[in-house]
Amino acid sequence: MAFSQESKTATIAIQSFEGATTSQLIWKRFRRHPGAMAGSVVLIGLILAVLLAPLSPYDPEKSNTNERFQTPSWQHPMGTDALGRDLLTRVLYGGRISITVGLMVVAITLSLGVTMGAVAGYAGGMADSILMRITDAALSLPSLLVLILLSAILREVEIPFFQRNSVLTIALVIGLLSWMTFARLVRATFLTLRELDFVTASRCLGASPFQIVVSHILPNAIGPIIVECTLELGYAIIEESGLSFLGFGIQPPTPSWGNLLSNAQENFIRYPWLAIFPGLMIFLTIISVNYIGDGLRDAFDPYKVLQKAGEL
Amino acid sequence: MTKRLFSKQSFLGIILVLSVAVLAGCGTAQTPAATEAPQPTVEQPSVITIAIPEDPPSFNAAISDSGYDALVMNLVLLGMTAIDPEGNVFPVLAAELPTEENGGVVVDNDAWTMDVTWKMRQDITWADGTPVTADDVLFTYQAIIDPNTGFWIPGIDLVTGVDKIDDYQFVIHFSSVYPAHLTIFGNRQVVIWPKHYCKAEQGFQSWDCGREPLSSGPFILEEWVTGDHLTFVRNPKYYEAGKPAIDQVIVKIVPDATVRETMIRMGDVDMLMWATEQVAANLKNVPDVQLSISPTNRFVMRLFINLAAKGSTDPEADPHPFFADVRVRQAIRAAVDVDAIASTVWHGYAIPVWTEFFRPPYDTCDIPRPKFDPQAAMALLEEAGWVDQDGNGIRECHGCANAQEGDEFRFELLTYAEYGEPLILTQQLIGEMLKNVGIQADLSQSQGSVMWADSASNGIEQNGNFDIDLYDDGYAGTDPTDFIWQYYNSGSAEPDMGWNIGRWKNEQMDELLNQAYILDEQERQNIFCQMAELLDEELPQILLFSTLNADAYSSRLSGVQANVNSVVSWNAADWTLIK
Amino acid sequence: MAQYIVRRLAQAVVLLFLLSILFFALVNLAPGGPLAGYGQIRRMPPEQVAALKRQLGLDKPLPFQYLVWLVGNDWMKVDVDGDGLGDSLGTRQGILRGDFGNSFRSRKPVVDELNIRLPNTLYLMAVTMLVALGIAIPIGVISAIKQYSPFDIAVTTFAFAGQALPEFWLGLILILIFYVWLKNPLTGDPLLPVGGIYTIGTPFSIADRIAHLILPVAAGSLGWLAWYSRFLRSSMLDVMNQDYLRTARAKGLSQRAVMFKHGLRNALIPLVTLLALDLPYLFSGAVFIEMLFSWPGMGLFYYQAALQRDYPVLMAILIIGGISIVLSNLLADVLYAYLDPRIRYS
Repeated sequence: MAFSQESKTATIAIQSFEGATTSQLIWKRFRRHPGAMAGSVVLIGLILAVLLAPLSPYDPEKSNTNERFQTPSWQHPMGTDALGRDLLTRVLYGGRISITVGLMVVAITLSLGVTMGAVAGYAGGMADSILMRITDAALSLPSLLVLILLSAILREVEIPFFQRNSVLTIALVIGLLSWMTFARLVRATFLTLRELDFVTASRCLGASPFQIVVSHILPNAIGPIIVECTLELGYAIIEESGLSFLGFGIQPPTPSWGNLLSNAQENFIRYPWLAIFPGLMIFLTIISVNYIGDGLRDAFDPYKVLQKAGEL
Repeated sequence: MTKRLFSKQSFLGIILVLSVAVLAGCGTAQTPAATEAPQPTVEQPSVITIAIPEDPPSFNAAISDSGYDALVMNLVLLGMTAIDPEGNVFPVLAAELPTEENGGVVVDNDAWTMDVTWKMRQDITWADGTPVTADDVLFTYQAIIDPNTGFWIPGIDLVTGVDKIDDYQFVIHFSSVYPAHLTIFGNRQVVIWPKHYCKAEQGFQSWDCGREPLSSGPFILEEWVTGDHLTFVRNPKYYEAGKPAIDQVIVKIVPDATVRETMIRMGDVDMLMWATEQVAANLKNVPDVQLSISPTNRFVMRLFINLAAKGSTDPEADPHPFFADVRVRQAIRAAVDVDAIASTVWHGYAIPVWTEFFRPPYDTCDIPRPKFDPQAAMALLEEAGWVDQDGNGIRECHGCANAQEGDEFRFELLTYAEYGEPLILTQQLIGEMLKNVGIQADLSQSQGSVMWADSASNGIEQNGNFDIDLYDDGYAGTDPTDFIWQYYNSGSAEPDMGWNIGRWKNEQMDELLNQAYILDEQERQNIFCQMAELLDEELPQILLFSTLNADAYSSRLSGVQANVNSVVSWNAADWTLIK
Repeated sequence: MAQYIVRRLAQAVVLLFLLSILFFALVNLAPGGPLAGYGQIRRMPPEQVAALKRQLGLDKPLPFQYLVWLVGNDWMKVDVDGDGLGDSLGTRQGILRGDFGNSFRSRKPVVDELNIRLPNTLYLMAVTMLVALGIAIPIGVISAIKQYSPFDIAVTTFAFAGQALPEFWLGLILILIFYVWLKNPLTGDPLLPVGGIYTIGTPFSIADRIAHLILPVAAGSLGWLAWYSRFLRSSMLDVMNQDYLRTARAKGLSQRAVMFKHGLRNALIPLVTLLALDLPYLFSGAVFIEMLFSWPGMGLFYYQAALQRDYPVLMAILIIGGISIVLSNLLADVLYAYLDPRIRYS
């Protein structure tokens, strides 16, 4: 099912080259999707907010023991935490970490997965077989269980770039267990696309496999890849928060949405806002990202959109 | 045609499989690991529930020491002695405590060996009616020292033999005078096991009676559904008449701390073992919940300072660039505002401690409380050659003892993550306080299983891979001698040979320790005070405060008393329901 | 087909073998060890620590430990008293003969504990997924049929929201609402219980079991529900636009007959394979749900074992997880071919 869906997408994506430029068409179709537009607004707002976090008058880490556990007020819109620190500031700084982890995971899974899938899909034969075996093996790992162990291992490693508990380590751990979807997706797309005439033509004209892959096939596979990227971002943020909740993710004092949630547990009954706000941020981010992904999927898949418009 | 049938079939098939799984679930959690229990004949049995986060590993607290094993063990089994909350040893299976005065303890002053003769009570039986005798004591001893299946308990390597005198008397032979000898067979971890019921060939560590015990104590195990709960019923053969007053005790496994706290608020459980400071503060204003605080504390949060350079275990060859100088250590102590930390993060329940000897009966040493004085700290640092000349707020070495000229005073402050939020916050506050005097502490956390592992398993402490380690420890029981040895003796500074992870080697301390293994309490007090002064001068560790030992319980219970020398169930026989 | 299955099974065996080596490496590479968890590790003399290591089999080189895990050591002499000479035959039979070893923590066979935990997890996860499916299928299908109606928009929004909620956060909020705030109007007790599978000390009652299931299932099934309903909607939409459906309509069959006889069945095919792929969750359980709701299952067991480095337990659960994934992948592929005649494996 997945296979045929992607091939259809790929085929029609190519056919839609006639007429206006592709990006214009895609943007037009994206705009017609109300959820995606709303999601984009929210996500951009969130990203702006976390980027502007340093503008906050409060220090996210410095304690202020006179103002502990204050309920939300004008001075502290989200209240204060156990050390008197402004929660809004910490949530914004935490957002930087969590979103960074998410983006890093996307980067890791993208590079790993696309490479694996591209080589497997285009080269075929033995390479395909081996790479798919590796992918299957990786898919056979019970992911949360292995995540816990991997995190326990890599967190203590002391080599350059991988200091204890760093953001990169957590991103790497999550990324190592989620590149497989990309690989399969890209491989399926490549399998279809490489049989098409224009590819054969390019080969006859003497283009190297690398050139063909990069200039001809990848651009047409972009659609599903981008959609998958947005989903992966959402997934990574939730995984990070889950790991931190269990104590295997980002460690304090670096705030992340996940460890803000886990620290808030102790005081949950008396000061529930300490948990409600970080959770709300995760929720808003993921739901916007998902809506954007849905909009992108429709935008890249004119078959569906034309259906909506009743033209099919 | 056929394809549709198959798709419907497969779909139904999956539903069927899942339904079977559901029905299987209905049958789960029903099969108890039961032992025969006499049913209470009271109409409405009085039941109390205790919530703990995880299954006890077994009923044998000697081999695991998680605390929860001690909880259930103290409900069903008795030792020769026990320790009350104030630190006094009292007899349980013993008829009286042996002393030098009553002839129970005989010391050979030439060979420096010791023989202790115990007389047992004659009115205590196991739940099946068999009397508890010296045979059981010998059986337990043999099981403990078995070379294949035994396990180490404190003091056992000083015991050369245990001999039976008659059914209710036995003598322990010690190869050296051992101050803590009274509690060797009766403390929070060690009890007496039944010879006729436990199977010696299964071994002390894994015998079945460690999971299905035969009771000598106030309660009998009725059912243990692992992961879920344990149920205990009153032991009608318990030797104290009229006790226990409670008919049934349920120990419930509730992994999440928030849920446990919620349950005691709602009245769904009657007791929380080891209530943390946060829980205590949260429950302070809940009318139906009381807090029992132990009169003495045990665990002291402290800064372990590595006197060797990070990654080395040799303080002479590689002295720590910052901390090898005692003035720096003194400065750090002066820079930390313990009261501020105790009153905020620990909700006022942490008590400042500045010497190892803060618990009765050895708390009479006159060590003055160190003052929180950042100015003095800065003066000490300047004197030690740490000056901030480039104005960035962090001092550099300009004439300091062990570092390179110009090196920044920047180190890693390590702690362990499993303790919870208060320790993380404490670490942060300490980092801030050090920053205020010009020291940059980079905060990081590790896990207990990594920090305390042996050197072959990359244990951080044993390998010296730290600058300053922040965590808590304290001695069990009433005798600090072994504890001090483990932490401050020169021999204990070798990797895997002890826990002198700061690598502090001091001949005077070694000498004092050698003198401390005597029975004369006056003399011991004297020696301990000399140790206290030495530690106060040299500061191999900076003690901060002791943490709460308390148990939360419902107001309908009475008689609950937290006991840092044991666990809350130490006097379970005395609990009564008042509502 | 039979040939295909046999070949896949053979590959599965090889894969599991390789996975077991990977798991063993991971478990042992995690720094620290099980001994650090012993509270009195600090009081024990070094010889005792060494003896303990020996008893747990940790003093041998790693490849040897793996071998013992695999095939046991009851066919060789084990050095029990530390003198370097073998004394008696070992007691372990190895996983190939069904012996998962003893837990470091409780010294009891891991399989005893698994026998209790696994059915608990199966029970919870089966109910969770049934509830999720039971709601997701109808609303997904109706959502597709009435595309763009208010119902569809509501369902889609709900689905997106459901996938965006972290499970543990939802669990905490549910506990706050249904256990702390809301009360049973009749008894004044909390509205729903918040721990365990059943109320201790009471006889078996379906109502009690259901009451204990409500909160964990609600927290755990929301994500599945959201995902399945989206999936089903999209699958149904794909099917609805196929040519053969239009042909059926053209042939005069009623809309209803077309939808349910032809459309629904074919929309469910991908769901079946998806379910087969999700089967492993029945075994590994949901760590967060089990933790929050005191459900003694596999996920919680694993988490606690990970903290304490209880290697035999970790290996056992990892390998069970691996087996369930490998087998369910095979099941999914076979089902897929079975159901869709267009796919044929050689």
